[in-house]
Order: sequence, then C-alpha cells, then structure tokens
Amino acid sequence: MPRNKVAWRRFVFVVLIIASLAVLTVSFRETKSGPVHAIQQGTAGLIAPMQTWGARIAQPFQDGYGWLTTLWSAHKDADRLSQQVQVLQGQVIQLEEQAEENDRLKGLLDFKDKGTFPAGTDFVVARVTAKSPNRWQAYVEIDKGSADGVKVDQAVVGSTPLTGETLAGKGLVGHVYHVTAHSAQVLLITDSQSNVAAKIQGSRAEGIIEGGGDLNSSLSMDLVDRDIRVDPKLVVVTSGYGGIYPPDIPVGVVSSVGEQDVNNYKQIAVQPFLDFRVLEEVMILIVPTDSTSVVPGSTSTTGVSGTTSSTGPDGATGTTGGLGTTATTTKAKSNTTTSR
Amino acid sequence: MERREFIIVGKAVLLLAFAVLLQTVLISQISILGVTADLFLILTVIVSVSRGSLQGAVFGFVAGLIADVAYFAPLGVRALIYVLAGYFVGMFVARFGTVSPWSVALLAGVTSFLYQLLLGIFQYVMGPRGGFFTMIGVQMLPEAVLDGLVTAPLYVLLMRTRLLPPPHLSGARFGSEDE
Repeated sequence: MPRNKVAWRRFVFVVLIIASLAVLTVSFRETKSGPVHAIQQGTAGLIAPMQTWGARIAQPFQDGYGWLTTLWSAHKDADRLSQQVQVLQGQVIQLEEQAEENDRLKGLLDFKDKGTFPAGTDFVVARVTAKSPNRWQAYVEIDKGSADGVKVDQAVVGSTPLTGETLAGKGLVGHVYHVTAHSAQVLLITDSQSNVAAKIQGSRAEGIIEGGGDLNSSLSMDLVDRDIRVDPKLVVVTSGYGGIYPPDIPVGVVSSVGEQDVNNYKQIAVQPFLDFRVLEEVMILIVPTDSTSVVPGSTSTTGVSGTTSSTGPDGATGTTGGLGTTATTTKAKSNTTTSR
Repeated sequence: MERREFIIVGKAVLLLAFAVLLQTVLISQISILGVTADLFLILTVIVSVSRGSLQGAVFGFVAGLIADVAYFAPLGVRALIYVLAGYFVGMFVARFGTVSPWSVALLAGVTSFLYQLLLGIFQYVMGPRGGFFTMIGVQMLPEAVLDGLVTAPLYVLLMRTRLLPPPHLSGARFGSEDE
C-alpha cells in the first residue's frame, strides 16, 4: 500500500471506475454466449433458487398483506357503492316519476287533440297541488291562477292512468270555483254540491250529473224520465247547457239503471271516466264566450270571489260561494245550473 | 494479509452475503408504493459512512456487480454507480460528519435519488422505456424515501452488533480523508 493514502484511495477509485466501465463495455459488446454473460447467467442460476425459496416464504405474508389491503379497499368500495346505489335509486325514482308524468301529459295532449271542444278553445295545463282533506268535499287545488288566464266557472278536464274500475281515463274533472293570482280551486264533479248538465249517448236522454261527495264516489244522473230507455255501458257526456261546461265532454258510463214507482225519474248510476284519487295534472278550458252553449234567459257572472249566480227558465236560482255554502239547485230538464 | 484486514474483508463478505440473501429472499418480495428497497445501495452507503470512501467504493463495486447479476441488468451499470456512491458518500461524511441515524437515512435517500437519476439517464440513453419525468414521481422519489427509511434502523442494527465499526471522523476534511 502506498504511503500517500489519499493518492492510493484515488487510485483505487479510478481503477474501480475503469473496471466498471470495462465490464459494462464487455457486457454490451460481447454476444449472449460471451464469458461475462456466462458468468452472469451462472451466478443468476445460483441466486434463482434462493429467490424461489424467498417467494415461497414471503407468499403467506404477501397474501396476508394483500388480504388486509383488499379488506380495507373493500370496505371503502362498499361505502362508495352504497352511496352510489342510493344516488341511483333516487335517480330511478325520479326517472319513473318523470315517465309517469310524461304518460299523463301525453294523455292530456291526446285528449286535447281528440276531444270535441268548441272551436277556439284554449287550454291551460295545471298541476294538482292539493286535494280536499276530507270526504265532505271533493276539490283539488291547482298551480295556475288568474295570472295564467284562469277564471271562475271555467271547465276543467283531465286524464288519469287506467286504474281500478275507471274506464277511459279521460274526461270531465269539474270547474274552477275559486281563483287567486297563481292558484285556483277546482270543484270536482264528484262533489255533492256539483251538478252537471249531461246527456246519454245512444238514448239522447238528458239529465243532471250529481256527485256522491268525495274523490272516490260514483256519480248519479237525475231527471231522466222513466219512459226513456237507458241501457248500461252507454257513455255520458256534457250537454252544454248551463253555461259552464262545453258540450260533448265525456263524463263517464252508465253503470246501472233503476226505477221506483214513487219516482218520476230513473235512478242512473254513472261511473266516471277519471280516477280522481290519482289526478295529478288537469287542463282548464278557456272557451271563447260565444262558443259556450248558454240557455236563453240565463246569466252567468263570475269573479275572483268565486260567486256565481245562475238563473234557469223556470226562475229558480242557484248561488254559489265558498266551500260549504248552501245552494239551491234548479232541477229543470234540459237546463243545468251548477251550484254549491 | 494481516488478521485485522482479514476480519474486515470477512465482515464485508458477510455483509454482502447477508445483503444478497435478504434482498433476494425478503426485500424483493415486499413492494411498498410500487417500489422495493435497494439493500445493496443502502449497505454501500452504510459501509461508506462507517469505513470511509475507499472501502465504500470497493464494497459498492462488488455489491453493484452482484446487484446487476441479481437484477439481470447489463453487468457494470450498478457497479459503476455504486462505486461513485460509495466514494462520494464517504467523502461527504468525512467532510461534514453526518453520522447520526437520521442524517445517514437522509444521506441514503439523497444517494438513492441520485442513483435512480443516473440509472434513469442511462436507461434514457440506451433507449427510453418510460417517461423520464413520470419516473421521478412513481419510482425515484418513492424509492429514495423507502431507502432512507430502511437505512436508519439497519444502520443502528449494524452499529449495535459491531458488524461495522462506528465512524472515525477525527481530523477529517474533504480531500484529506486519512484512515
């Protein structure tokens, strides 16, 4: 070893660098069967079994570590997927609601296109926002009001899915009886205070449709003479008398016909076309004033206050006000006064 | 060869055998953040800290050759880099006296990063196998951190077992290391 250790150290360092470069050069320049490669492969052959043993020894620990990390990620995945499921469930519900709403609106559109409404009739589609809270009254609240052109005593039609015993799913809902700027109340034809002038197709019998009192009740048709033949399954439509409902709007079908000796009129039960329990959208008919059939001599005054006075040919009057107001109904054939 | 030198060489051989065994059997099987610790480089750094640049460079040369064989790399690549690492780490320690476990760990981390950098440049020169800057994030930095973390306990272990002597730093200055 030289006396100058620094020089010796530097000398060894340079030798090692040169040796490394030499080995590297030989390693790159020689063929795969060269001596350096042969030594490398031989040594690697000695190390390979050790690596195999090492892999076998380490495998259970690796599996355990992998199991733990998988378990941890599985927990996180489960939480994430659970949240995704909740979001997707919400989206599915939303899509189903939209699909149902789409069907209902299509029904309304179909009714608008195929229904026989007076020429020039305008339609305002409204969403039902509330329903009568008890069985004493049958009305719904809608989200359109005077700002949208809605006025008292305008006829309202609708479309509902074909559920239960409901037949066609499209027909008369009722009429507007109270209006505010952005909402209105619609008295349903099933309300006990509602009277609708109607006729039975096929027999030409005319009478008044009266409500049974709640959303679920059927209708009855009064003032049909006993001598007029009426068969079940005949369709009942509005007759157009009274000044509120345009003619030929479907109401329902005759479900049963009865007679009593002490009564001059038939007892006719009518099944409405609509299922008022599932009513969600309606159309308000804005009919030009000269298109609505009004019996000569009668007047109809409407206002935001919801008061209506109608007079029939026989001089009977009906006065309407808010819900619960007592009313006198004109029961004259071929003339209907809607009142509460 | 005197008895003392014989013991030193024997310990070095023992360390290398230990490194080969541990690296091939255990360390290479454990991947953390996608990288495995390089025990050959770590031991080169520790030997350089403990015994100085000359023995560090010699140990690095042999360890590098073994590493090239073990990793099926072109023979001489790691030998060259480890020689540089062993020599300059020894010089650095002699100059600045960084011998605490955490400073040695930091030194090993920096050395590992520079080693990876040189290896990356070598790979790039030989033909790019991956994005160089991508490798900084996914390979170089993680391995530097891992090597540094492995170095500290291993350094303490080797000092406590007296397999390597404590660093002797008296009167040492850069360029005038006298062992």
